Amino acid sequence: MITVSGLTKQYGKRTAVDDMTFEVAAGRVTGFVGPNGAGKSTTMRMMVGLTRPDRGSVRYHGVEYTDLPRPARIVGSVLDARCMHPGRTARNHLRAIAALSGVPGRRVDDVLDEVGLDSAADQRAGGFSLGMRQRLALAGALLGEPEVLLLDEPSNGLDPDGIRWLRVWLTDFAAHGGTVFVSSHLIGELAMFADDLVVVGGGKLLASEPVTATLARGDSTVVVHTPHAAELARLLDLSELSADVAGDRVSVQGATTAAVSQIAFDHRIHVVEITETSRSLEDILLDMTGASAEFASA
Amino acid sequence: MTITTTLIDESPWAVRPQGVQHPLTRTRHDDIVSLPRAVRSEWIKMTSIRSNPTILASSVVIGLLLSWIIATFVRTDPDTHEVFTVAQTFIFSTWLSTVLAAITGTLMFTSEVQHGTLSAVVTAQPARWVTVVAKAAIAAGFGLAMGVLAMIGGFSGATLSGLDMGDTSGMAATALRGLMVASVAAVLGLGVGMIIRHSSAAVSTLLVWALVLENIVRTVAPPTTSRFLPFSAADHLLGIKSASDTAATAVVALSRVQDAFLYIGYAAAALVIGTVLLYRRDTN
Repeated sequence: MITVSGLTKQYGKRTAVDDMTFEVAAGRVTGFVGPNGAGKSTTMRMMVGLTRPDRGSVRYHGVEYTDLPRPARIVGSVLDARCMHPGRTARNHLRAIAALSGVPGRRVDDVLDEVGLDSAADQRAGGFSLGMRQRLALAGALLGEPEVLLLDEPSNGLDPDGIRWLRVWLTDFAAHGGTVFVSSHLIGELAMFADDLVVVGGGKLLASEPVTATLARGDSTVVVHTPHAAELARLLDLSELSADVAGDRVSVQGATTAAVSQIAFDHRIHVVEITETSRSLEDILLDMTGASAEFASA
Repeated sequence: MTITTTLIDESPWAVRPQGVQHPLTRTRHDDIVSLPRAVRSEWIKMTSIRSNPTILASSVVIGLLLSWIIATFVRTDPDTHEVFTVAQTFIFSTWLSTVLAAITGTLMFTSEVQHGTLSAVVTAQPARWVTVVAKAAIAAGFGLAMGVLAMIGGFSGATLSGLDMGDTSGMAATALRGLMVASVAAVLGLGVGMIIRHSSAAVSTLLVWALVLENIVRTVAPPTTSRFLPFSAADHLLGIKSASDTAATAVVALSRVQDAFLYIGYAAAALVIGTVLLYRRDTN
């Protein structure tokens, strides 16, 4: 369990993170989303002691990161996959981290194998692709067999196979009791495996809730194809459902298929087809963060 | 009716796969115990970069070449007009190795910043002083190795060039001072790197200070002031005379012990300031 309380960071007059409070539960994958400049990276850096908060705290089971005796055994983090010396081999990069973290050297081969880099273990990191660097950075985070993983844009540079591997791997990690806190711009990707979402914008917390609750924020639209469109629309209006008629189709916003089909059935209205369309998580999140986006597209 | 109670271990480490129980918060004892691990980590970093063995090898080559040049082309001391001996010449290249050691010490920290690996260091070891002590130990060891190799090169070059051995009574003391100068230079460089952080800026500052600014100050300022400069102290320890030295310089010169303390003091001060900044600054 990660508890973030009143986290605040200012750079000059600009407030990068403003009184952010949320919890990240164990055994679940929590997505951390928000537009550029929303304060995601600053928050994650404060979560591992790289940036000092002006106010507030981040606690892992009640203990601040900098007070953990062997932090690598509790928290594994990947905040920038480019962070490695180009002249050092993957194995030596991990050996240095393992030694400092108090992790046995034999874990190096284990994690290299786990992330699929065993064949590149003795290659220098300078020749690695971004995807290989991501895997190496993840291997570094896994050295201490942590119970918490903090990952900033971990799928950057990964090929589709790598993205799928990461998704399955993180889901499995959470299923075994691990805590996963992952930021990503690929909201569609996150929607496939995140259980909870922490949504930020303009340095402020906008929502911290299960993905299902976020999805519920987007109204669904039920479209009914019927030769009795006008009659159905009138009955829906009587049931206080807003309906629009276009030819032989009736569109109903904020209703469920079950509710609309029940009304049609009760009044013996012939229905040719009934479909429900809901807004994507991406659309919902863009709406939520739109006002706070620092850099918006035209 | 049967009531069954299940004891749930709610301690933070209950879900650890190894089932290892750790103390709840980090203590000073944890930090001290982690020091050998930090030194080992720095050793791995130092030995896993190809450029470092090259720098060490260059120390021997510089020693050999410098002694050969002196034996072949210079031959006599311009001040005393006496022919150079092995006992005098073997230490000459140590100054250049000292500069290289200082640069290596600087890069030990600035390359971590440049490549972003400092964040991995700080997250793995939140007690930042542990990392500083480990880096200083490895830097000092590297500087020492540079000094030893420079002297081996200098000695070999002078001997192979046919110079007489000369008065060898002071060689051991000179060698020890040379090793101290090279070793401390690497730590001084590390401190400068921790303060300035940017590789090019830190190395340029160090070189401009050692090769340009100090010489200007030594020319302009009275010897009672210039004797307190760090590289003046290093020169004095190595027995190197500056072109700006006058008769008054010798009169007010510090003793070798005072020079040693002064030189070590500069390195310690740079390291302390760098450590304070390491704690105060955010790590990028």
